[in-house]
Amino acid sequence: MKNRKRFWFIFWMLVPVFSVVGFLSIYPTIKGFILAFQNYTVFTFNRIRFIGWDNFEEIITDMDFLMILRNTLVWIAVSVFFQLLMGLGLALLLRKPFKGRGLYSGLVFYPWALSGFAIGLLWSWLLNGQFGIVNDVLIKLNFIEEGIQFLSNPDTAMLSVLIVNIWYGIPFFAIMCLAALQSIPDSVYEAADIDGASGWAKLVKITLPYIRPTIISTVLVRSIWIMNFPDVIYGMTRGGPAKSTEILSTYMINIVYYENDYSKASAVGVLVILLLLIYTILYLSFSKGGEVEI
Amino acid sequence: MNRSKRITLNLFRGAGLAFYLFIAVFPLLWIFITSIKPSAEVYTFPIKYWPSKVSFESYRYLFEFADFGKYFLNSLFVSITASLVSTLIALFSGYVLARMRFRGKSVLVIFLFFVQMIPAYLLMIPQYSMFSSFDLINKLSGIILVYIGLGAAFSTIMARGFFVRIPVSLEESALMDGCTRLKALFKVTLPLMLPGVAAIFSFSFVQNWNEIFTAALFLNSDSKMTVPVALYSFISKAGIQWNVLAAGIVVSLIPTIFVFAFAQKYIVAGLTKGSVKE
Repeated sequence: MKNRKRFWFIFWMLVPVFSVVGFLSIYPTIKGFILAFQNYTVFTFNRIRFIGWDNFEEIITDMDFLMILRNTLVWIAVSVFFQLLMGLGLALLLRKPFKGRGLYSGLVFYPWALSGFAIGLLWSWLLNGQFGIVNDVLIKLNFIEEGIQFLSNPDTAMLSVLIVNIWYGIPFFAIMCLAALQSIPDSVYEAADIDGASGWAKLVKITLPYIRPTIISTVLVRSIWIMNFPDVIYGMTRGGPAKSTEILSTYMINIVYYENDYSKASAVGVLVILLLLIYTILYLSFSKGGEVEI
Repeated sequence: MNRSKRITLNLFRGAGLAFYLFIAVFPLLWIFITSIKPSAEVYTFPIKYWPSKVSFESYRYLFEFADFGKYFLNSLFVSITASLVSTLIALFSGYVLARMRFRGKSVLVIFLFFVQMIPAYLLMIPQYSMFSSFDLINKLSGIILVYIGLGAAFSTIMARGFFVRIPVSLEESALMDGCTRLKALFKVTLPLMLPGVAAIFSFSFVQNWNEIFTAALFLNSDSKMTVPVALYSFISKAGIQWNVLAAGIVVSLIPTIFVFAFAQKYIVAGLTKGSVKE
């Protein structure tokens, strides 16, 4: 009797979350796979039929598809690398207490909570080719003679969106690294001080090995997140000019918004999900299916 | 460590801290300055670093002509409602996943962990086709439903993390005294977990407030737009002034800055303290 009551308690407490997830995440994911093989567009919504692999063929034979894949890889790798590097740097600066540290971390961490899209817009003004403050400063410092068209030139657009994405992601890595740093017991450093270890030796021999697991799991999880983070790009270039900043996620969104071809976009989505699955399997076998951390 | 070495080290540290502070704060400061410039001073070269006269004409334009107050209220309504619902759902499921032992529990937790990684833009097309048949397109209720779905899994994971850290003993003695589990949850454990509830709610609020892609697809009439959709429609309009756009950006960032200032400590705790570990 008691066991049965317990069972129903557990059951009813879990029903809301799993019905929401089932109805709004799992079912749509499956439906997305089906749509990818159909011809669902704004113009055909009442005569949808199966068209086989046509959508996939169209994407893969797209002249720009390889470039989009390459852009996606660059977007992930460069962003994660510098976000980690600069986030770790900030965390190291914040490890020891100082007066006003709470306020200071609030001021440097805040970008983390802001809308990526609004941040993208904001930076597109700072990087404006004619009236942007960045160009203004560069000219005053005599680095350049006339304003650089950061976002309308394919050669500088990717670099620009990357810099902004790195800026946006520093706080997240700093927060994660700082939490890990603060879990290192002080006694370890005290012992090293007694042995006369230099600051550099302490960093390499104590700090980094200690926070290695955090760094690895944060990088792995964050890579997926960054791949699926088109917001900054969308606020700055929408994937342009000439698709020089197009990554898989902006590509899919642009197909939805501007081609209104929902099935073709779904096919891109299927490719993204497959990439995520492969990555996840590698990740799980890498971390031996054990600890999963956010 | 000798004295001069320590001084050099502190100098480096100070310079580093100043650098990070500058790059973090300056962009926001600059967009704010742009927003209080009179139209005539936005497009000048060389750039004016401070307006000759502080002007709020961009804000007036935003609220009087662009109806930004409406979008702001839409966003508030959508974000708060969706976050409240997903927080409540998460408290139920997080509690069970933290406190009760049963077979298959870890599978459910890992399942939720992967579900919360599915991004909104991948779900929006099938959701659009589903919601069309329920007549939920271009309605705030439809977008609220989408946001509940996007937030529920992660909120559960966060809630579970917070429950795990609250000692069971108090709850057990309440159960001994004949309290039902649900009552023990709400009367005994929840009051101890208010920072956690604040963290779950705030995190979810921030996500909902910032979501743009699904909202832009679903909400296509002027009176239903949320703030990000309105900003997006601004940039597609020709002839929008940058001081007005800057004011729109500033207004759109205020709620999340506000929430972040209050809940940062708790959110960080929820994100970093082993959310999934036993």
